[in-house]
Amino acid sequence: MTDIGIDDRIDMGAKPDTAAAQTDTLRSARFRMERESHWRQLDQLVTRAEKGGASELSYDEIRNLAAGYRQAMNSLSVARDISLDRALIAYLESLCARAYLVVYAPQESLGGLTARLLIRGIPQAVRRSALPLFIGFLALILGAAAGYRLCASDPSWFYTFVPPEMADQRTPDASVEYLRSTLYGDERHDSDKLASFSTFLFSHNTTIVILIFTLGIFVSVPSFALTFYNGLILGAFFAMFYQKGLGYDVFAWLSIHGVTELAAISIACAGGARLGLAVLLPGARSRREALRHQAHDAIKLAILAAFMLVVAAFIEGFLRQLIQDPTLRLTIGWGMGLFWMVWLLFSGRERKPSGEPAR
Amino acid sequence: MSQELQGDKRVEQFIPPEGVPIHLAVASLGARLGAQCLDLLFTFIVVFVCAVVIIFSGFLSSQAEIMLVILMAFLFRTPYYILSELIWNGRTLGKRITGIRVVNINGRRLTPHQVTARNLMKEVEIFTPLTLIFSIGSMHMLESGFTILWLVIIIIVPLANRRRQRLGDIIAGTLVVDNPRSVLLADLAVSSPSALSSQAGFEFLPEHLDVYGKYELQTLEDVLRDPTKGPSNEETIQIVRTIVRKIRYDDPVKPGQELLFLSAFYRAQREHLETLRLFGTRRENKFHSDSKDPGIIGPAV
Repeated sequence: MTDIGIDDRIDMGAKPDTAAAQTDTLRSARFRMERESHWRQLDQLVTRAEKGGASELSYDEIRNLAAGYRQAMNSLSVARDISLDRALIAYLESLCARAYLVVYAPQESLGGLTARLLIRGIPQAVRRSALPLFIGFLALILGAAAGYRLCASDPSWFYTFVPPEMADQRTPDASVEYLRSTLYGDERHDSDKLASFSTFLFSHNTTIVILIFTLGIFVSVPSFALTFYNGLILGAFFAMFYQKGLGYDVFAWLSIHGVTELAAISIACAGGARLGLAVLLPGARSRREALRHQAHDAIKLAILAAFMLVVAAFIEGFLRQLIQDPTLRLTIGWGMGLFWMVWLLFSGRERKPSGEPAR
Repeated sequence: MSQELQGDKRVEQFIPPEGVPIHLAVASLGARLGAQCLDLLFTFIVVFVCAVVIIFSGFLSSQAEIMLVILMAFLFRTPYYILSELIWNGRTLGKRITGIRVVNINGRRLTPHQVTARNLMKEVEIFTPLTLIFSIGSMHMLESGFTILWLVIIIIVPLANRRRQRLGDIIAGTLVVDNPRSVLLADLAVSSPSALSSQAGFEFLPEHLDVYGKYELQTLEDVLRDPTKGPSNEETIQIVRTIVRKIRYDDPVKPGQELLFLSAFYRAQREHLETLRLFGTRRENKFHSDSKDPGIIGPAV
C-alpha cells in the first residue's frame, strides 16, 4: 500500500480540520479526516444521479463523479487494510456500491437501442438462425399438412383438433352460407360475438407464442409439439372450408393476417428451438453457458415474434373488417410477407464479411 | 463471485473493473414480492384508465375497442418492465419504492439483453401462472395437476438457490439486491469523550491491549454506538467489569466513568491493533487464531 495520495485535480472540497488531525495520532482517523470531504461530495453527486439519471449532471460533475468513484474505491481498499473502524468501512462499502451502480449504468439512449435492434440486431439474429427457423416452419407446415389430410379423409377429426370455443360454430356441420358469412363480415352476423372471438384469438395467440418460446428450453420438444398442433388446427380449418367450396375465400381470409401471424408463431418456435438445441447439443460449452449464449439470438427472435403478433392483431382487428375483397386481402397479406422477408434478409448487412456480430 | 452471510443478510461479492471487491446484499423475497405486486397494480391502473378513456370517447366500434384494450394490456405487460428497467438501470417503479434493484451478476453494467431476458421469463413465472390460478376450478384433474406442479417449481427455484434467483435471473445472469444506503457515522476515536478529555487518566500498557482482537473491538464499537446504553446501564457496567478482569487492569474504574473508560479503551485498543496490522499481524479475535497471511507481508512476529 504505497500510494494513497489524493488526485489533486478533484481537490476542491473544504480543507479538513487540520487542528483535529494534529491532536489525533490515530492513523485511520487521520486517513478519514483527509478524505471525508471528497466522499461527501461524491455522495451528493451519486444521490443526484440516482434520482434523475446521469443526464442531470453537467460535464464537470460527471468528470468529478468518475474521479471521485475511483478515489473512493482506492479509499475503500486502503481502509479495509488499515482501519478497524467498522462504521467507516460500512460507509465506504455502500458509497462505492452506489457510485459503482451509477458509473456502470447503461449509457445508451432508448431510441438508439431500438434503432440498432431493428436495423441490425433482429435481422442478423434471424439470418444466424437458419436451422431453428427451418424447424419452426417445418413444424407448422407438417402440422397443417397432417391436419388437412386427416380432416379431408374424415371430417370428424375436426372435433378432435379444434377446441369448441375456438371453432365457434364453424364446424363441418355448419351450412355453407353460415361459413361464408364468417369470412365476410356479414350484416346478419352478431358483431359483438365476432369481436370477442377475435380478441380471444389474439390473447390465445400471444399465450401460445410465449409458451412456444419459453418451453423450448425443454429440449425444444414442447415448442415443436405446440407449433405442430397449431398447424393441425390450421389444416383442419382449411380442409373444412375447402370441402364446402370456400377454399379460395378462406385462403384470402387467412392470408391477410395469417401470413404475419403464422410466421410469428414459427419464429417463436425457432427461438424455442434455439434454446432447446443449446440444451441438447451444447458443444464445447457447458449447458448453462450454451443456453446463455444461444439466448442472445433466441430473445431477438422472441421480440420479433411479439412485434409481428401486434402487427397481425392490428390487421386482424381493423383491416380485415374494412377490406372484404379477397384479391385485396391476398395482396395485403402476402405484401406484408414480402416486407418481412426484405427487412429480415437485407437489413443490417455488414460491408465487411469479417465484421463482429452485433450483440 | 463469492458469498457470505452477514447477520441475517446474504451478501454477494462483486468485482468491478477497478478490481476492488464490493458487497451488495441479496434482496429479500418479501421486498421482491412487494415490488412485483406494486408493479402489477400500476400496470393494471394504467390499462384500466386507458380502457375507460377508449370506451367513453366512443370513436371506434365496440369490436375495435375490445381489440385495442387487449392490445394495450399486452403492450403494458412485459414491455413496461423491460423499458423501466432499461431507463432506471434495473429498477421498476415498484422496485424503487421497495428499495431493490437488478444488477449484472458478473460485476459489469446491466445489458439490454439481460433486462429483456429476465422479463420475458416473467410471462412464464408470473403472468401465465396467475391466469391459470384463476381458472383452476374449471380444469380437469391432469391440467390442474400440471398447473400445481408448475407453480411449485416456480416457487421452489428462488427459495432453493442461495442467491435467491428466479428462473429469469438464472437465464439472464442477473441478481436482485438491496439498494445500498450510506450514512457516515462519527469516528469514535475522534468524537468520543475520552478524545476530548484525554486527561481522564486511563493508561493502557501493551500487555493490557494484547488480549483482544478485531472481533472484540468491533463488538465494543457496536456497544458504544448503541444510544440505549447510558452510563448507568447495567450492561455497560457488566462489560466494563469483564474487560477490567480480562485484561487485568489495575486501577479501579469509578462509578459514572464507565463510558469514559470504554471509549478510552476502544481508542487505545484500535490504535494498538492498527499498529500491529501495519507490521503484518492481523489479530481477528481473542483466540489469536486467525492470521490469514502470516509472514508473507510483514516480518514474522
